[in-house]
Amino acid sequence: MKLFRKHHANAPVVVPSASDRPGSRRAFLQKFGVGSVLAAIAGLGYQSIRSLVPNVLYEPPQVFKLGLPQQLAEGVTFLEDKRLYVFREGESYYAISGACTHLGCTVKYTKLNQVKQVEIDGERKTVTGEFNCPCHGSKFYGDGTNFAGPAPRPLRWFRLHIAPDDGQLVVNMGQEVEQNFRLTV
Amino acid sequence: MQIVQSTKKLYRRLTWSWIPRSDKEAGDAIVKNILLHWFPHKVSKGSISWWYSLWLGTMSFVLFVILTVTGIVLMFLYVPSVERAYASVKDIEYVVSFGWFLRAMHRMSAHLMVATVFLHMVRVFVTGAYKNGRSVGTNRPLNWIIGLALLICTLLLSFTGYLLPWDQLAYWAITVGTNIASAAPIVGEKIRYFLLGGNTIDQGTLIRFYVLHVFFLPVILVSLFAWHMWRIRKDGGLAVVDREALSQKPEQVAPVKSKTYSLLGITNGTTVHVQTRMVNEEENSLPSVPNLSRRIWLVTLVTMLLVMVSSIIVPTPLEAPANPSVTPNPAKAPWYFLWLQEIVTDTTIKLGSFTLNGALVGGILLPGILLVLAIWWPYRDRSSINATGVWFAPERKRQNLIFLALCLFVILLTIVGTFLRGPYWDFYWPWEAWPTTPIRF
Repeated sequence: MKLFRKHHANAPVVVPSASDRPGSRRAFLQKFGVGSVLAAIAGLGYQSIRSLVPNVLYEPPQVFKLGLPQQLAEGVTFLEDKRLYVFREGESYYAISGACTHLGCTVKYTKLNQVKQVEIDGERKTVTGEFNCPCHGSKFYGDGTNFAGPAPRPLRWFRLHIAPDDGQLVVNMGQEVEQNFRLTV
Repeated sequence: MQIVQSTKKLYRRLTWSWIPRSDKEAGDAIVKNILLHWFPHKVSKGSISWWYSLWLGTMSFVLFVILTVTGIVLMFLYVPSVERAYASVKDIEYVVSFGWFLRAMHRMSAHLMVATVFLHMVRVFVTGAYKNGRSVGTNRPLNWIIGLALLICTLLLSFTGYLLPWDQLAYWAITVGTNIASAAPIVGEKIRYFLLGGNTIDQGTLIRFYVLHVFFLPVILVSLFAWHMWRIRKDGGLAVVDREALSQKPEQVAPVKSKTYSLLGITNGTTVHVQTRMVNEEENSLPSVPNLSRRIWLVTLVTMLLVMVSSIIVPTPLEAPANPSVTPNPAKAPWYFLWLQEIVTDTTIKLGSFTLNGALVGGILLPGILLVLAIWWPYRDRSSINATGVWFAPERKRQNLIFLALCLFVILLTIVGTFLRGPYWDFYWPWEAWPTTPIRF
């Protein structure tokens, strides 16, 4: 294989078909060149888009302390900045998310004037309050079960525990629990 | 005299790499360029009629120009940071000279543009203007699809701009909007994370929406718009031109002299004639300048007047600063998405223990199906060529009725969402008072 082709001064300029045929060095280099450019563009595209996916989030922590359990008021406490309802019934505690399961608006808790008896999953339960969503009118019973409007699921329940170091009540908003969860202190 | 001539020569040398030697060459140069290829030399009388196109496309473009100009000025005044955004908008509204007017014009033009682009689409559908005529090389269905992309682009521009004031209205409209995106199966949550730059609407979201609003989406819109206009020229003008061609009587036209290698060329006694319908140029068309340009200026003037007057009359709201812990009651999406909000409210389907989220049905599936139908329709529409560029062609009566019914349905839902929904999304007649609900609880 010749590395350099000699050109005769008088020879007509023609496209050298031999070097363009598939498998030739020139065809290979052409493909290699185009391929490299495409790979470089793809790489640049990937790194540009990947850089937009955050690796560190400076968002409020999902696990936080609420203070000593006995200091929490009896009944319902709404933590505005966490969009979280914390309930205290004597010595048992539970926490329900305030974010509607339909499109994420903050639901509002209303205490019912009259206690209601309702059937949830074949079980008769006493309901003392309701959650209402202002965006699309979803309604939930006091335990978070959805019963009207477009919400597809019950409100989420989060795990509560007692901090081993100082005995404070801790909410873990990263861990969901069943509706029958109660933390008894 | 000599100096003038040499100066002219020098100027030409400095400003032209090539000089057209005739009018035809000059015309060709313009016609061959995608950006200069908007105006034909002559336009048919039908296409510049007020009542055929209603000039809604031109209006949309003028609104976009107003949006660009006011938007560039606003970019000098607005600060896209969570700490400063609300205060800077408040400054624009109350401190900056004519700031309120700039903001109101930007807002009114955006609302009007959504309306005119939508109405433009309705006009194109009911006149069957997405249909090809007889000319070779036309592809009006493609231009219809480009138009749909332009409509989506307009909606996205408006939506991304909605967050920027960082007030309650903005924050909750975007909460609802981005949660609809997260209802998409499998990738939904990831899309929302990428769109927001995290799990909550915060600085990452604001800067993303800002960059999309001032750079990416306008660039896409301008490119699509250039393509849209170029295709109109390639398609031989507005669809009404094809209609005009059809209404002409067919006449015998001598063939163009050319070499022929077929038997026709040597057969005795045979002459080749072409039966065709020619539009009488002299009678049916007018020079673009000044006939078309005059009307464009007039539409520009009327549109600007409309924007200015409405900006003065209609108040531009600025609610309390965004507060993630307090959802306003009722919380409403921008008006042009209220039909979707109305649908997402009513489409949660329960099948036994399986629940289909309304956000998926009403927010993604239904609009998705409508869009796919709209893209597919020009290829499905088998009405004859006579129904091209005609308002309410009898042949297309049924599809026009269905399309208009769908449009009316969307408009009706928008009206219900805007005027008849109160706290907790309950239904209230306009004369009914809303119950007072505590804002904080």
